[in-house]
Amino acid sequence: MSNNLLDVQNLTMKFGGLIAIDDLSFSAKKDHITSIIGPNGAGKTTVFNCLTGFYKATAGSMYLNKDNNKMDLKKFSDFRVAQKAGVARTFQNIRLFPQMSVLENMMVAQHNKLMVASGFSILGLVNSKSYLQKEKEAVEISKYWLDIIGLTNRADDNAGDLPYGDQRKLEIVRAMCIEPHLLCLDEPAAGLNAKESAELNKLLKFIKNDKKTGILLIEHDMSVVMGISDHVVVLNYGKKIFEGTAKETKNSPEVIEAYLGTED
Amino acid sequence: MGKDLIQKSLKDSLFTGIIALALFGPIVGLRTVAKNEVLVVEPKWFVVLLIVIFCAVGRFFINLYTFRKEQRRGEQSSFGKAVSNFLDEKGAQIAIAAIAFSIIFPFMPFADRYWMDIAIMMMTYIMLGWGLNIVIGLAGLLDLGYVAFYAVGAYSYALFAIHFGWSFWICLPIAGLFAGMFGILLGFPVLRLRGDYLAIVTLAFGEMIRILLLNWYELTKGPDGLTGIPRPSFFGLPFKRYPDEGVETFHTFFGLEYDPMQRIIFLYYLILILALITNAFTIKIRRLPVGRAWEALREDEIACKSLGVNPRNTKLTAFAVGAMFGGFAGSFFATRQAFISPESFTFIESAIIVAIVVLGGMGSQTGVVLSTIFLIGLIEVFRDFESYRMVAFGGAMVLIMVFRPRGILAKRKPTIMMGKHG
Repeated sequence: MSNNLLDVQNLTMKFGGLIAIDDLSFSAKKDHITSIIGPNGAGKTTVFNCLTGFYKATAGSMYLNKDNNKMDLKKFSDFRVAQKAGVARTFQNIRLFPQMSVLENMMVAQHNKLMVASGFSILGLVNSKSYLQKEKEAVEISKYWLDIIGLTNRADDNAGDLPYGDQRKLEIVRAMCIEPHLLCLDEPAAGLNAKESAELNKLLKFIKNDKKTGILLIEHDMSVVMGISDHVVVLNYGKKIFEGTAKETKNSPEVIEAYLGTED
Repeated sequence: MGKDLIQKSLKDSLFTGIIALALFGPIVGLRTVAKNEVLVVEPKWFVVLLIVIFCAVGRFFINLYTFRKEQRRGEQSSFGKAVSNFLDEKGAQIAIAAIAFSIIFPFMPFADRYWMDIAIMMMTYIMLGWGLNIVIGLAGLLDLGYVAFYAVGAYSYALFAIHFGWSFWICLPIAGLFAGMFGILLGFPVLRLRGDYLAIVTLAFGEMIRILLLNWYELTKGPDGLTGIPRPSFFGLPFKRYPDEGVETFHTFFGLEYDPMQRIIFLYYLILILALITNAFTIKIRRLPVGRAWEALREDEIACKSLGVNPRNTKLTAFAVGAMFGGFAGSFFATRQAFISPESFTFIESAIIVAIVVLGGMGSQTGVVLSTIFLIGLIEVFRDFESYRMVAFGGAMVLIMVFRPRGILAKRKPTIMMGKHG
């Protein structure tokens, strides 16, 4: 199992008496897009919150295989998951820094790297050459990603002023700026029109193939899920009810039952 | 539209009249007069009637010609927009002009002792505003106890200077350091708090420091205050008419006539330099990763966490840096007054500094200067009217909030531009 990027074993999350995730095990591969689908309230976002350190899982284990170096995600709390383990995420309701410019959003994502480069602000205060060089590189990286999503000409505008679809894409490339090994996307296609969804598919495929970043995807839009997923995990009431390829999932009676109910 | 508008305006002015009656009826209408050593109520209904009619009719015309004309509530008025655009375009030139003016200010013909004192006081508030702008404007942490750091700076300066006899330039960084440490001390318990809750705790912290200063008699002399705080010297040259034997003073060294104004002018330049350092530091640090992280934290803390930004360290640095500048300002205050007591560090001071920052437009450095001139200037101009000073102060705040709801200068400039880097 060494080629798995993410190994989740027997993950359980309880809120008081409510069991949000019940003994969930799944894995995700490095150059795969793994989708987690399921009806509303199935516990998909809770899985993300456990993975990215926003919740502390009640039981179970989560291992990230980072360059043949097994990291226990449970050891990291909130921001350290992104900082140390390289797990980035986006949110169901977009969380940009709306009053800051697009470029600034990208620069904040490179905070830890720049913080070290600026000598924890001391070198930065005296305008040291090495810091200015690093800052320039960070701008280049931002420009690279903004070129890909076609937002370079709006780099100096406030992120909150962008159209909705662009905000979604910006949030994804902002997460890519921390150079993650695993990118967790929480409903990236929500509210997008058909054209924007197609662009999103292209972007995600690019991240998977060219950046070799594993993607974990929560999505309701089946055209996105079926179009790009290599592997699908179906949850219902916190339990895994099916796991397989997109095609297998589409024809699985358990999945159809969970979504549509049974015939009497 | 016409008929409907008049009807609405009439209704509104009627309502205004009722409120005016309720307010002015008891206040103006019923007056107690001493007649033959007995208090008698003397009604003045005619005056009340005049006031009520004035309010109602005034409101009616305001409704007709001002309010309803532009239905866009909360949007900037055209005048405000013009001012803000002007400041945007000519920002750099205006800043240079303002700095040049403040440098030559002491040599202006009208700059007598009274004006210099006001200028020094304003400069102190500007510096405090700039310091607090880091905490409120950039990091978005509503700190209502900022005066505590001002007090810590003042008292640590005073205590070190009195007991160890250290000079101003040694005590100044120590006072800043102490205030910064208190900033971290306050920061830890409030890390998880936001908004109203944070404001309440910081307010309590400010009061705690004041009460501590009031009651720790052995160290702070409590309500008696600390006296005999050494005056600053010009690189070792004291400002004294009759110096001790063998000590050279500022006026003998430069071969000048002794003039008490020399010390005042020196103090003025001292606070000007301190304030400008605060400003330059803030402008610079805003463009560094830590400054951007402060602003990002203000915008969305959860998003910050998801990007690996450490919210704890980021918040603590904001508190510490803001407090440090408060401490610097405090040591200046101590050396200027030569006497400090807890009375100088009451909540109203915090409130004024917060008002300066908020009304100036959170995060705007120029806005802090403008609102200080506006608010502190108004208080001074109305000094002769005694109890009406605070009315003017409140009125100024209301005016700013009505016409510029997001502060005098609300526009934020990005800290880094793509254009610059190509």
